Amino acid sequence: MSFLDSVKMALRSLWSHRLRSMLTMLGIIIGVGSVITVVAIGKGGEAVLTSQFAGGGNNTFEVYYMPPDEELMDYDAYDDVAYTTEDLRAIQEMPSVNQVIAYAYDSTNVVYHQEAAGAQILAINENYYDLNEFTASSGRLLDNRDVDNGRRVVTLSTGVVEELFATDDEPVGQIVNIEGVPFEVIGVHERENQSFFAFQVDEVLLPQSSWPMLYGTDNMDMLNVQANSADDIQVASHAVTNYLNDQSTLSGEYQVLNMEEIEQGISQVTNVTTMIIGGVAGISLLVGGIGVMNIMLVSVTERTREIGLRKSLGATRGNILLQFLIESVTLTTIGGLIGIMLGAGVANTVSLIAGWPFLVSIPVVLLGVGFSMFVGIVFGLLPANKAAKLDPIEALRHE
Amino acid sequence: MIHLKNLDKQYKNGDQTLHVLNDIHLKIEENEFVAIMGPSGSGKSTLMNMIGCLDQPTSGEYLLHGTDVASQPEKELAKVRNAQIGFVFQQFHLLPKLSAMMNVELPLIYGGVKKKERRERARIALEKVGLEDRVNHLPNQLSGGQKQRVAIARALINEPSLILADEPTGALDSKSGTQIMELFTQLHHEGATLIMVTHEQEVADYAKRIVTVRDGEIIKDRGQEHVVPR
Ligand SMILES: Nc1ncnc2c1ncn2[C@@H]1O[C@H](COP(=O)(O)OP(=O)(O)OP(=O)(O)O)[C@@H](O)[C@H]1O
Ligand SMILES: [Mg+2]
Repeated sequence: MSFLDSVKMALRSLWSHRLRSMLTMLGIIIGVGSVITVVAIGKGGEAVLTSQFAGGGNNTFEVYYMPPDEELMDYDAYDDVAYTTEDLRAIQEMPSVNQVIAYAYDSTNVVYHQEAAGAQILAINENYYDLNEFTASSGRLLDNRDVDNGRRVVTLSTGVVEELFATDDEPVGQIVNIEGVPFEVIGVHERENQSFFAFQVDEVLLPQSSWPMLYGTDNMDMLNVQANSADDIQVASHAVTNYLNDQSTLSGEYQVLNMEEIEQGISQVTNVTTMIIGGVAGISLLVGGIGVMNIMLVSVTERTREIGLRKSLGATRGNILLQFLIESVTLTTIGGLIGIMLGAGVANTVSLIAGWPFLVSIPVVLLGVGFSMFVGIVFGLLPANKAAKLDPIEALRHE
Repeated sequence: MIHLKNLDKQYKNGDQTLHVLNDIHLKIEENEFVAIMGPSGSGKSTLMNMIGCLDQPTSGEYLLHGTDVASQPEKELAKVRNAQIGFVFQQFHLLPKLSAMMNVELPLIYGGVKKKERRERARIALEKVGLEDRVNHLPNQLSGGQKQRVAIARALINEPSLILADEPTGALDSKSGTQIMELFTQLHHEGATLIMVTHEQEVADYAKRIVTVRDGEIIKDRGQEHVVPR
């Protein structure tokens, strides 16, 4: 008897009990479906968290100043942090560095006629757009000519516009005052790709070159560095922090976030969660498997006469064993496949809503299929063996 | 072809031993048509199952084509049942979800025959029992006589040397019964060896030899030369 004939026979028999087969599969469908969903959502969440910390994967790292322990709570400790034009040029010239993204910021009031709004003032150049994408919802964004020519122009975030202007007013072309210096509003900007847990800040972007007009210095106080490649991040971060610490007269230390450690940490958290929920899903698979065994045992009893007849027609024990084993494996495998599709569907929906990447990986799918086949074999063995061992005469005489 | 030597079959029930077959001696040659008769519970079916390699004797010897059946492994016996023996049962034993055609081709599936050949041979077998127009019917769409003819087609499909029928007409009206017996007579003329259990004298009269069993023993075994009635 060919294997293909055995499979066809099993499929025909399952098809003739469609409803029962479907119900039997349910346990496996739910089990596999939830495993796939949980793992996919876990992976998606992990990918989002990691990319958020790792600068969106554009090889950028942030340099920050860490005061000594006793000064940690002291706000003044950060006041002297400043990156001079020479510092920035030196860093820019390091071989592992692609570009320096430095900016200065302050929190102050923006004034328009009688209205004032508190906002973050960011002095930027066009490199800043590599840290975060911006779009102009009206007017335009700052560009390199604004920076090069030291123009007194600004773009405002929507929040600032709402606070300063009446609903019908057109902010573009208006003059606002910052620290007593008048600036022309040339656009309203919005940050792109904001993750769902980042909150919108009220902010004003102005050209770096006009910063000295406000504060009398062209030192920058925030520094991000983009390495040439992912492999260069490590080298670049060492070079930059070594350089800064050598120059520094401060008692603290310049540091960068260690991406690897963060990624490992995130991964650990998501792995543990995935394992816990995966374990629960695994139990539901186990229960599904027991359901399959139960129904297969019923099926063997019901079909005792059929088994006796098949034996009288020349079926060996092996034939009968295989027939029932294929039936249970087919049940669990089809159940597993449906579960995978269902799980992928749910994971897809969740990732669409949350804006995560869709991460149903091939290994997880293969594992799902493999595991459901395995469940079919394990839980099919007992009923199949019971069928194979039936005595043909007693089986034929079975009422 | 069949040789039973002091065959015994006992069932143990608690501390009671039930002697179902007692010292059976029986020889059946190629192309014989034998009827086995006897009262209910006398051991006829047990004897048939033994001959059909479905059951093993408690003691004694059964030679089929000169080989000792008892010494054969289960797999070998399955092969013998598949290729050399065709069973016909009183309750037909057709699989209800399969068409006539698929029921008939079952032995060929276990014999490892390819689908195309299976279909062709099943069609021929159904034609032989006069059911060429019922090929795709399910068993519950057939009359009792037609079901039994499907079962006979299934028994014939592998061209077995031996056909065993346990009360083949027991569940049929006399007209269908006659049709079945005519079919058996035809098979006998074509060279088949037939062994048939029956309670009815008219049915037994189709056979050339009648073996009578009582309480697990053969009490009468005689050939009969009279012509089939009607
Ligand atoms: N598995 C078994 N366990 C115990 N006793 C059995 C078993 N199988 C059959 N018997 C007994 O063996 C005896 C013979 O049974 P068998 O079926 O061969 O009779 P039979 O001649 O075919 O009867 P009938 O004409 O009613 O079909 C009966 O008394 C029956 O109860
Ligand atoms: Mg009987």
